[in-house]
Parts: sequence; structure tokens; C-alpha cells
Amino acid sequence: MRLQAKINIRFLALMFLIFSVAGVVFYYMIGEVADRNIREMLESRRAYILLNLQKGTSLSDSFASPDNSIFIRHIDESKKYRFYSDTLAYDQAEKELIPFRKLTFTASSGDHHYEVVLMQSLLETEDFRILIFIFLGGLFLFVMTSLFFVNRWLYSKAWNPFFKSLSLLNSWKFSEEKSVHFETTGIAEFDQLNDLLKSMMQKIRTDFINLKEFTENASHEIQTPLAIIKSKLELVLQDQSLSATQHKQIQAAFESAIRLSKLNESLLLLSKIENQQFVGQKEIDFVHLIQSRIDSLQELFDLKQIEIEFQAESHVFYSMNPLLAEILVNNLLSNALRHNHENGKIIISTESNEISIINTGENQEIDPKRLFQRFAKHSMSIESNGLGLSIANEICKSNHLQLTYCYSGGMHHFVLRQEDNLI
Amino acid sequence: MKILVIEDESTLRETIISYLEGEGFLCEHAASVELGSEKVCLYEYDCILVDIGLPDGSGLSLIKELKKIHPETGIIIISAKNSIEDKISGLDLGADDYLTKPFHLPELNSRLKSLLRRRKFEGKQAILIENITIFPENRQVYVDKELLQLTKSEFDLLLFFTSNRGRVLSKESIAEHLWGDFADAADSFDFVYSHLKNLRRKLAEKAGKDHFQNVYGTGYVFMAE
Repeated sequence: MRLQAKINIRFLALMFLIFSVAGVVFYYMIGEVADRNIREMLESRRAYILLNLQKGTSLSDSFASPDNSIFIRHIDESKKYRFYSDTLAYDQAEKELIPFRKLTFTASSGDHHYEVVLMQSLLETEDFRILIFIFLGGLFLFVMTSLFFVNRWLYSKAWNPFFKSLSLLNSWKFSEEKSVHFETTGIAEFDQLNDLLKSMMQKIRTDFINLKEFTENASHEIQTPLAIIKSKLELVLQDQSLSATQHKQIQAAFESAIRLSKLNESLLLLSKIENQQFVGQKEIDFVHLIQSRIDSLQELFDLKQIEIEFQAESHVFYSMNPLLAEILVNNLLSNALRHNHENGKIIISTESNEISIINTGENQEIDPKRLFQRFAKHSMSIESNGLGLSIANEICKSNHLQLTYCYSGGMHHFVLRQEDNLI
Repeated sequence: MKILVIEDESTLRETIISYLEGEGFLCEHAASVELGSEKVCLYEYDCILVDIGLPDGSGLSLIKELKKIHPETGIIIISAKNSIEDKISGLDLGADDYLTKPFHLPELNSRLKSLLRRRKFEGKQAILIENITIFPENRQVYVDKELLQLTKSEFDLLLFFTSNRGRVLSKESIAEHLWGDFADAADSFDFVYSHLKNLRRKLAEKAGKDHFQNVYGTGYVFMAE
């Protein structure tokens, strides 16, 4: 979730809560004030009636009110009570039942005893309340919207340097020489962040260059002594006066030197791919590439009596470095060949930018997680160094391709396809 | 045949020279670009072997220089850098072949001989071994003037062995010669064995003599007078 969205959601929720509580309190307070007003009005009428009674005026005549809000009747005995109540009454003007506040009390004038009922319509108060409610709602909406936009404006202004730094970081590649320049923001925290970022990026770049130089130098330095060991041993092996035991021991050392040098080459290749040191991408026709590799390796397949089937339904083009493409195809084909058994089968098919290589082999599924790991050996093959598939996988990763493995129907399936999120 | 080996690693240089001298080549050496360019200016060579990464510069500049003075000299690049850029720029400058360290000495020898055949005799020179005649250019082998039918791999094998006559060739170097990077793709040693078995049988039938010898089960040697 974006920072702004997160802040907005929290802000709106909080504002909603505050406004709801304030609205409810305000609403009841207004109600209370209105109610008090009505009571005061009724009390003043009562005082007026009582005053008239003391003067001796006959109540029933003089208090016929135009809005039928005063009802007086005689009662026989002298009782004393006074209470408020609410009621509904039919209003002539509104032609409906409307709520009234009612004050019932008794009064006496000489021997005459009366019960007086005073009524006051609550319709205006009700209207008043609705008005208050609408006003409050409107105010709420207005305040919320204006705060929302003010917030947004403030947010984008305050965080602007942060987003600038972020986009700089986004476009930054540690393998590129281009230096990064952060503007001074005038905000202490952001300036500190930018300074830290800058020094970290410089550190990363120097580390990367050091590592790159180290791998290159190390490999070069290792390859040369290895070449010497190999060639010296090869010279010794030429000596036909060697005894059989000596010959075998030197042969073993020779074989180990070869394995070591191949291992060194593979590791160097892996680190080169990981460091993205292979540039110069081209559109490679994989159908053509696979066909040419199959042709040149036909006899290796024949010797193991492996039937190879190539169904090129459609041409497949991936964009990558030509050397890497060749290594990828080599490694996948040699994997299918190496882990196959005699009289086995390899089926290669292409379909809408997807290449699948299916081969027979050990009747056992291999853990797909372990399969692409370095030095993950599954068979007892000595010649394999366990790097072939991890190199293939690394090539795919650095070229936006996906290499997946599954085992079904007694065959090992390797599928190469373009990453989904790539158009 | 005069060869110049330009390589800064003295042990490797000596090993290469020792192997090539055993093949009858006349070898001279240089350890830097400066010394190398001095030699190519003063003398003429049939072929130079040049390392790309030399202490005082790149071997590529030396190739450029040599191409101006003696364009007919063969050039083989030997380099530890297994990078396609070096390979392409080297071959673009006019180098004839490219070997990546570490390489097998018989492989270097065989490539050198094939390069010299191409350069000196336009590939038309035949190789004569007793009653066997090999025409490398049109890939034909005659035994007593009778054509011997060989597969591509068998022919490559025979040429590789005859280039390294009397040398013990390990299964590793044979496999690498035949299949390059793919040598360890499969049980290639079994394949070397089966190819060699067929070649031996075909050759022995026609020539009446088995030239191949097994050396303690680890390699083979081609013997001829």
C-alpha cells in the first residue's frame, strides 16, 4: 500500500470517529436546549393562567386559544398535581399526527377547581433538529474533503525529495559507471538519508568492482598454474618408461587437474552471469540453435542409442547474448543426455515461445528446489560437477526466462518460457 | 618450421616449447608484447602462438602489427579469458585459431599442424604414413591406393593421432578434441573407446597392421615407422 493511501485511510477513519462523537453530543445538547425552551414557554403560560385565576376570570371563556393548545376542564375535588408528558395529536394545519409537549396541572379559584392542559407543538423543534443534522453533515463533508486535499498537497510537497531519491535509486544500476547526484533538500532527515544512500551506493559499487576484478584475476591466475600442471603431467604421461603404477597415479592427478580447471571455468561463468557481465543481446532463433546442436551431437545420442525427437511447431526467439544462448542449449541438452539411460528417449518441442525438453532417466522425481542448486548431484556420475543446471537457471534468470522442472509419466520435463510479467 | 611462442608464464612456455620441439618444430620465445614485436620485426616465422593477457599489454596489438609486416604468418591465440569478445576481436584481426587455457598439448599440436598445412600448402599436402595416405582437405584416406571409408569422427580421430604420432593421447584430450565443450556431457570415454575400436578395426583390415597401442588403459598411442 502506498504511504499516502495508508495515511489517508487512517486520517479519514479518525476524522469520521471524531465527527460522529461530536455530532451525537451536539445533537443531544441542541435537543436539551430546545426542550428547556419549550418548558419555559409552557411555564410562562401557566403563570399567566394562574395570574388570571387570581383576578377571578372565568377560565373556560377567556382561554379558548386559536391553535387549541389550552384545554381546561372542571374537576370536583381539589387535587394538586403538575407533570409533563409527550403526546401525539392531530394538527389541522399539517393534517397529520404531530408530536406535542404537554403540561398538565391543577388550579383553583375560590370553589372552582380546574385541570389545565397546555400543549406545545414539537414540530418546529423537530425541524430545527433536522436542520442541525443536515448542517452538521454538510460541515463534516466539507471539512473532510478540504482536509483530504490539503493533506494531499502537504504530503506531496513534504515527501517530494523522498520520491526523487526513490526514483534515482530505481534507475541506479551498480554495474553502471554513472555517478548518482542527490539534490540538497533542506530537510534534515532527507538530507541525512541521501547522504547515507550515497555513501552506501559508493561502497556497493567499489565492492562490486573489487569483486569483479577479484574473480577475473583469480580465475586467470588459477587457470595458468592449472594449465601448467595439466601440460606437465601430459608430458610425463608421454614417457613410456613409466611403470604401470606410476602411469596410473599420474593419470589420476591429470584427471583431477582437468576436473578442477573445468570447475573453475564453470564457477567463473556463473559469477560472470550473476554480475551481468554478458552484454550485447541479440534475437536468437532457438529452433535453429537446437537443431544445429543436435546435428553436431547426433553421434553421442546414437552411441547411447537414444532416440531424439525434435518437433519444432513454431520458431522461438529469445533475446540474449549469443554465447549464453549456446551454453544454455548445451547444458540442457547435455543434462538430458547425461542423465538418460541406454535406449532412452529425448523429446524436444517448441510451441508459442515455449521450449520443452523431455527425457527418460532415473524413475524417480528430483526435488525441484534442489535441482537448480549448485553442486546438487543426483546421480553417481563422476563427470558431472553439478553446475550445469544451475548455470542454465542463472542464464534464464538474467534473461527474463523461466526454467521449470516436473516429473510426470516417467519422464523428466524441463520447460523454458518467457517470464509472465514480461510483455 | 619456425614457431614463436609469446607467453609470459615461463613454465607453460617451456612446456609448450618442449612438446613442439619434440615434433620437430624450431621454437623461439618471448615473454612480453615488446619482446614479441621486436622478434616479429626482425625474423620471419611460420606461425606465432600469442597470449592475450601479457604483462605490458594485450596480445591483440601484436597481432595487428604482425598482420602489417608478415601477413602470411599463421596466428594462434592462447588465452585464459574465455570471453567471446576476445575471441571475435582476435579472429577479426586475422588470427587463425583460438585456444582457451588450459588446453591439451596434443590439441595445440594438431591445430598448429592443420594451420600450417592450410597456410603453406593450401591444404593440398598429403600425409604419408607407411602405406596410409591422408588428404586432410577433402577428408579422404587411402590405404595402398584404396579408399578407406571413415565416418567424420573416425577421420578426425585419425588425423588427431597422426598429428601426434608416437605420443600418448589421453581419453580426455581425445574426447575434448572430438566434442569440445560437450566432452563431459555424456559418457564420452565410452564413445572414444567405441570410435577408436571401429577405426582400429577398419584400418587394421586394410593396412594389415594395428598402429594403435593401448597405454595402461588410460590412453592410446599411434605408432608408425
